[in-house]
Amino acid sequence: MTVLDDDLACAAALVGLGGMTPVRLVRILDGFGPLVAWRALAAGTHPADRAHRFTAEARVVDPSEVADRYRSAGARVLIPGRPGYPAALVGDPGAPAVLSATGDPTVLDARPAVAVVGTRSATRYGVRVASDLGRGLAGAGVAVVSGLASGIDAAAHAGALAAGPGGAPPVAVVGTGLDVVYPRENAALWAQVSGSGAVFSEAALGTPARPRVFPARNRIIAGLADVVVVVECHGRGGSLHTVEAAARRSVPVCAVPGAVHSPASRGTNGLLVDGCTPVRDVDDVLVALALARGTPRVPLVPDWRAGPESDAGTAVELDRVERAVWDAVGSEPTNIETVLLRTNLSLATLAGTADALAQRGLLVAGAGWWSRA
Amino acid sequence: MIASIPSAVLSGVDGRPVRVEVHVANGLPGFTVVGLPDAAVRESRDRVRAAFVSTGLPWPRRRITVNLAPSGVRKGGAGLDLPIAIGVLVASGTMTQESVAGHAFVGELGLDGSLRGVPGVLVLADALADLALVVAEVDGPEASLAGGTCRSAPSLVDVVARCTGRRPWPAIVVPGGGNDGSPPGADAPVADLADLADVRGQVMARRALEVAATGGHHVLMVGPPGAGKTLLATRLPGILADLDPETSRTVSRIHSAAGVARSTTTLIRRPPFRAPHHGLSAVAMIGGGSGGHRPGEVGLAHGGVLFLDELGEFPTAVLDALRQPLEEGVVRISRSQGSSTCPARFLLVGAMNPCPCGTGGVPGACRCSPAARARYARRLSGPLLDRFDITLRVDRPDGAELVGRGAGESTAVVAARVAEARERARARGVRANAELEVSSLDRFAPLDPRASALLERQLRSGGLSARGLHRVRRLARTVADLEGAGSIVEADHVAEALTLRGSRALLLGEEVR
Repeated sequence: MTVLDDDLACAAALVGLGGMTPVRLVRILDGFGPLVAWRALAAGTHPADRAHRFTAEARVVDPSEVADRYRSAGARVLIPGRPGYPAALVGDPGAPAVLSATGDPTVLDARPAVAVVGTRSATRYGVRVASDLGRGLAGAGVAVVSGLASGIDAAAHAGALAAGPGGAPPVAVVGTGLDVVYPRENAALWAQVSGSGAVFSEAALGTPARPRVFPARNRIIAGLADVVVVVECHGRGGSLHTVEAAARRSVPVCAVPGAVHSPASRGTNGLLVDGCTPVRDVDDVLVALALARGTPRVPLVPDWRAGPESDAGTAVELDRVERAVWDAVGSEPTNIETVLLRTNLSLATLAGTADALAQRGLLVAGAGWWSRA
Repeated sequence: MIASIPSAVLSGVDGRPVRVEVHVANGLPGFTVVGLPDAAVRESRDRVRAAFVSTGLPWPRRRITVNLAPSGVRKGGAGLDLPIAIGVLVASGTMTQESVAGHAFVGELGLDGSLRGVPGVLVLADALADLALVVAEVDGPEASLAGGTCRSAPSLVDVVARCTGRRPWPAIVVPGGGNDGSPPGADAPVADLADLADVRGQVMARRALEVAATGGHHVLMVGPPGAGKTLLATRLPGILADLDPETSRTVSRIHSAAGVARSTTTLIRRPPFRAPHHGLSAVAMIGGGSGGHRPGEVGLAHGGVLFLDELGEFPTAVLDALRQPLEEGVVRISRSQGSSTCPARFLLVGAMNPCPCGTGGVPGACRCSPAARARYARRLSGPLLDRFDITLRVDRPDGAELVGRGAGESTAVVAARVAEARERARARGVRANAELEVSSLDRFAPLDPRASALLERQLRSGGLSARGLHRVRRLARTVADLEGAGSIVEADHVAEALTLRGSRALLLGEEVR
């Protein structure tokens, strides 16, 4: 890790000032280098801080100490015009004035990026689609950008990582400080993304998870991506912030269709009605990407598709009762009550049959709901 | 002169015989009551005197001392009014000793000399079974359920007139109680109760209730508001068999002692259903209180169903107090003034939402954070959750799936199946399969090879603990009994038991992933 120079140290110190917001930061750095801005704040002469909101704190904080903290956290500080600051954000209307990153921030250079986003309370279907898209896109040389939240985000990252060392590295933009892993259960995933790709944040080190940091994070995701894919989202939610930010930047938005009954697909189905491009698999995303970038679509690694997946259950032999249960469960998760009603079997027979199917890996029994594996 | 009149007071769900000794002597006129009376008994001085004056009975203008023996135990209730009044009459010479010999008295006096009923007459009559018990007219039918000699009168004057032989004791007519010609114990017929046929769909829940009623397995229903959890729970008592004579008597005694509304003309033959609100205190749940160990909800649910709606909203102390009755079938209440034991063997039915927003468990529907869900589920302690053999997901019925389906089976049909399967459990020497000892499982619930393979797989995958294994085996035994299977428990029975048992994920409202 290189020693941070004065400008970068002051940039880091500016982000960490109490009461600093992305908008204020942009104003303070408008026309000033970080070092100049910092000195002006400490002197109380900065034109964007006539109220001396930051003067007292700027006088006692030592930027080099802040820089030391970033160094020990393994984080780099990125500002426009310096190496590492994502090229996609230069000229962006909401570009953060200062970013920090762990991993390699240059992975986005010379590589198309697709944001795969969606709800935290995803269904099995959504998780599977996100994971497939993540793996397929990474395998095709596209950097998968997401937010490291639970649900769709985590599945997209995990899928991208599953493409292996040959795939494009994953990129995450998080809302918290880079030293605050949230949610905790994604700690391992976070480390892997940081290890093979990059994790960006515009928040100061130590910034906890607050409701307002996530919409701000979503605009950066939209800014970094060439195409945004929404896998599953509810009628209201953070993913729609990303969609809105993408629309403002004329970044194409694609949506994965879902069952019309599924609450987790209400938002995505709505997007499709509104005219977003439907996406079924990686192929569809790559078409959208090629259109977005105005380049022919096959330049990417040719064998990106790992091989067709067969529909389990159609290939194997099922007896009459097993077939009835299989049909009754259908393609969406179904509760036991519904399966009982559809099959008219006794609970004992049904439970026994479902167990036999589960043992053959055809059925997944969840919390009162069954679905095809 | 001294009179000694037998009576009785309530102590928990038991009657305690008491002798009311009255001494009338020369001296300054006065009226004292000794022998640890409580406030109600001390106030009886004023009621007794007023009753005498207003009915024209002579009040001795002498010194009256009343002692309640044994004097070491606390006595409460207004039922001692009548024996005190009779004691004063005898001690002052208005009535003779002989006229009250062989009689015991229980009743509250009104200021006009009328006799009023008291709670727990059935229990008190049991405690005074070897004497002819004189009670208020309204208490006559209930007192005669105890089986001893019983007499009733509407007022103090009538008691005096009948004791002294000026008027005869009328026979107590108990409607439906056996002495009016109709068969005894004709209780509300099952059809009058909430019927299972009212429940649309809910095939899984119906089956779970049937299994619970057969095997005595406690049930926890998890589901969103409005799914029909309460509707289902109220249908459970209907499919339980009539109480056996001994339990019927015990239940009647408990309800009598607690003074809850009920038919007083017959013993309670149907299993009771208690659904206390979650605001109740630990004392209201297990019993106790200053008024002499009144039975709590667990006692009142003995032989029947205790339904706790919004289980997560009950205070932890109240829920933890359930552990002893669930374990031993009785609840022991100890206070500084003594302890008492109340039977409390009931079927526990809990209901709760899966998560704070109530929609958890439907894939993709719940927006609660995992932490909020975990916090919600943590309100129930592990040991309590452990008691629920059946954890059941109850969702709102899907109208589209119900189209073209008739009403489900009625309570009568299911009750008959339950009664038949319960007979098989009785042949094993237990009331229900939930009470089977671990050591007897291999004898009474042997597994066929596929069934034991299924259980072993569950154990290995960590889906089942050693203790859970026994519970599943008992549950599977009940399922096999209902299916009319032989002595061997088959794989399908075990699979159903595992499905009914549910999982922790189900409780947390987690989804299939």
